[in-house]
Amino acid sequence: MLETEELKKVFKGKTAVEGASLYIDKGESVGLLGPNGAGKSTTISMISTLLKPTAGDVRLNGKSVIKNPAEMRKVLGVVPQEIALYAELSAYENLKFFGRIYGLSGKQLETAIQQALALVGLKERQKEIVKTYSGGMKRRINIAAAMMHEPEVIIMDEPTVGIDPQSRSHILEMVRKLNKEKGLTVLYTSHYMEEVERLCDRVYIMDHGKIIASGTKDELKSILSSEETVLIELDRPYPEFFKELQSLDTIKQASETEKGIKLILPKGSRVLGQVFQASERHQVQIINVNVQTPSLEDVFLHLTGRKLRD
Amino acid sequence: MKSVFLLQWQRFRRTPVMILSFFILTIVFVAALAGNNPAERPAFLAYTDDSLSPEEAEDWVASLNSEEEFQFQLESETEVREAVSAGDRSLAVRLMADDYRIVMAADDMSRFVLEAFLNRKYREELRFQQIEEETAASDIRAQTVAELEEPVLGISTVTLNETEEFVYDNQLQLLFGMTLFFSIYTIMFSLMKIVEEKRYGTWDRLILSPVAKWQIYMGHLAYSFTVGYAQIVLIFVLFKYVFNFDVGDRFGLILLIIACYTFAIVALGMLVMGLVSRPQQLQAVVPIIATGMAMIGGAFWPIELVSNNILLTISKILPMTYGLEALKGVAVYNRSWQELSEPVSILLLIGVVCMGIGINLMERRSY
Ligand SMILES: Nc1ncnc2c1ncn2[C@@H]1O[C@H](COP(=O)(O)OP(=O)(O)O)[C@@H](O)[C@H]1O
Ligand SMILES: [Mg+2]
Repeated sequence: MLETEELKKVFKGKTAVEGASLYIDKGESVGLLGPNGAGKSTTISMISTLLKPTAGDVRLNGKSVIKNPAEMRKVLGVVPQEIALYAELSAYENLKFFGRIYGLSGKQLETAIQQALALVGLKERQKEIVKTYSGGMKRRINIAAAMMHEPEVIIMDEPTVGIDPQSRSHILEMVRKLNKEKGLTVLYTSHYMEEVERLCDRVYIMDHGKIIASGTKDELKSILSSEETVLIELDRPYPEFFKELQSLDTIKQASETEKGIKLILPKGSRVLGQVFQASERHQVQIINVNVQTPSLEDVFLHLTGRKLRD
Repeated sequence: MKSVFLLQWQRFRRTPVMILSFFILTIVFVAALAGNNPAERPAFLAYTDDSLSPEEAEDWVASLNSEEEFQFQLESETEVREAVSAGDRSLAVRLMADDYRIVMAADDMSRFVLEAFLNRKYREELRFQQIEEETAASDIRAQTVAELEEPVLGISTVTLNETEEFVYDNQLQLLFGMTLFFSIYTIMFSLMKIVEEKRYGTWDRLILSPVAKWQIYMGHLAYSFTVGYAQIVLIFVLFKYVFNFDVGDRFGLILLIIACYTFAIVALGMLVMGLVSRPQQLQAVVPIIATGMAMIGGAFWPIELVSNNILLTISKILPMTYGLEALKGVAVYNRSWQELSEPVSILLLIGVVCMGIGINLMERRSY
């Protein structure tokens, strides 16, 4: 129902997005994954008609929305990356205003407000001033404000940044329900791989303004099907040992993690023997070795040579 | 538009402190400064040089004191200079036959008032002397005084060089100057909500809604205009009816002039927001603009006393200049509507131009 064709945006000579083509079918939940500065927000702004593309097109049901944004705006709910609320007003007053500008009034408006509040689980605290809310509660109201006019498509730009785990899982669960139970079409942006992995059927991976991979989660992971990930847990960091592993030709990639070292190896290779030999030489204490199936994080690492959160 | 307008009032009711403080500051300043009654002021010290004989000097001081606006006290030069340099007095006067000097240790606002007064007195006196010499009629002063008291025809001020005599009304200068000055803060800080909305993303929510963009702008502009206008009107009403300031009997015209001035400042505000987009920068820029415009435009001291050509030229593009000119034109000089239409139309012109450029700049940046 929604597609973009070769979207491009240049800010004062700096290209933020280039050649971004993607599509979202009705009822789908699509993820846009990429590190900070990848161009996710810029892409979303162009899709939601808030930013004019330098080149390319955005289409809703086959019709371009660049010249005629009204159609798109009608079906669209946008949850911006920042908390776009009036901080000195209460949650209720905010929602009332955002409902009113969509032409709601009277009983209809009141119902919409209470529904949106119920959705984000903040009914009891609706009279409190937004300024006094925790980060997680603000984020939830930020979402509720985008739901006032019952959109068919909801675009969320990193809706879980900087909040407590409880609010976060509440939001994720809510998005999942909206998509699976109410049939809402979702475009979900994040730099947290786990969120996208949990919520989305299909994923676009973005880096440096370009879409570098796309497909269902399984399709993306099959990029790594010829590889496997090995996590080696160590009692403390051993820089010399890590250096030696990095220098081995048979290891595609070695990176340090919180607890130890992560290796990406060609499938079925017998590298592990070499690893253990090296660990003997450096007197490394290995606590655990774990051979993993790949995650989207690994896909990103594979494609860019960097971690998602660098 | 209506919901955007009403929303701003709702937000104002939650956080009224800043706007109200500008309102109160105006009242405090005007009341405090205009309140110092001439009679309570200490006399200015004066001394003379050789151009005046002791008797002539006494006459001069008597004539100056007869106005009751200021009191002067004749002393020797050394005493006066000592008093000034010791800081007992900030100002003193040196009287000469056909000129005067103000002796000043530190800059003092009352200098302008004093200067205006002495200017007027000297000009009058010199004119009398001139006429006396030309007509050789020795009783010309008595005649003039008599005729002024019982004018045959309505009095019109006739001056030798055709320009209108500068009348200094301390109360009105303060009232008009301070009110217009502080209203700049009120208006521009209210307009800053537009910039904040754009910065914090609520603007995008509005744009995505069915409300048209011009309606969003109008909602904000109408709000800022109303706040600024209400502030000025309330203060004028307060000083007219409670403090009994004499603003003339054409209050309706004053209300109209304020409306034009407010419009011009709202528009100027839009231009500023078009040029400076960060709220923090605006916090610094708005006071600079308000103060700069007040100084050059004549809100702090009468522009009639400014002789620097550069400043006078700059003042020609400032709404403050025309706002004050029109207000004083009504309240002090009692000018006709025709004479007032010039500053008023310039205010409107400034408004239209600034508004056009301002909105254009804002819109250009969003892409
Ligand atoms: N208004 C803008 N002006 C100039 N550069 C911008 C603007 N918005 C975004 N950028 C740049 O474009 C790039 C992509 O930004 P963004 O879309 O916000 O990334 P993401 O949302 O993935 O973190 C960044 O390098 C950012 O600095
Ligand atoms: Mg972003």
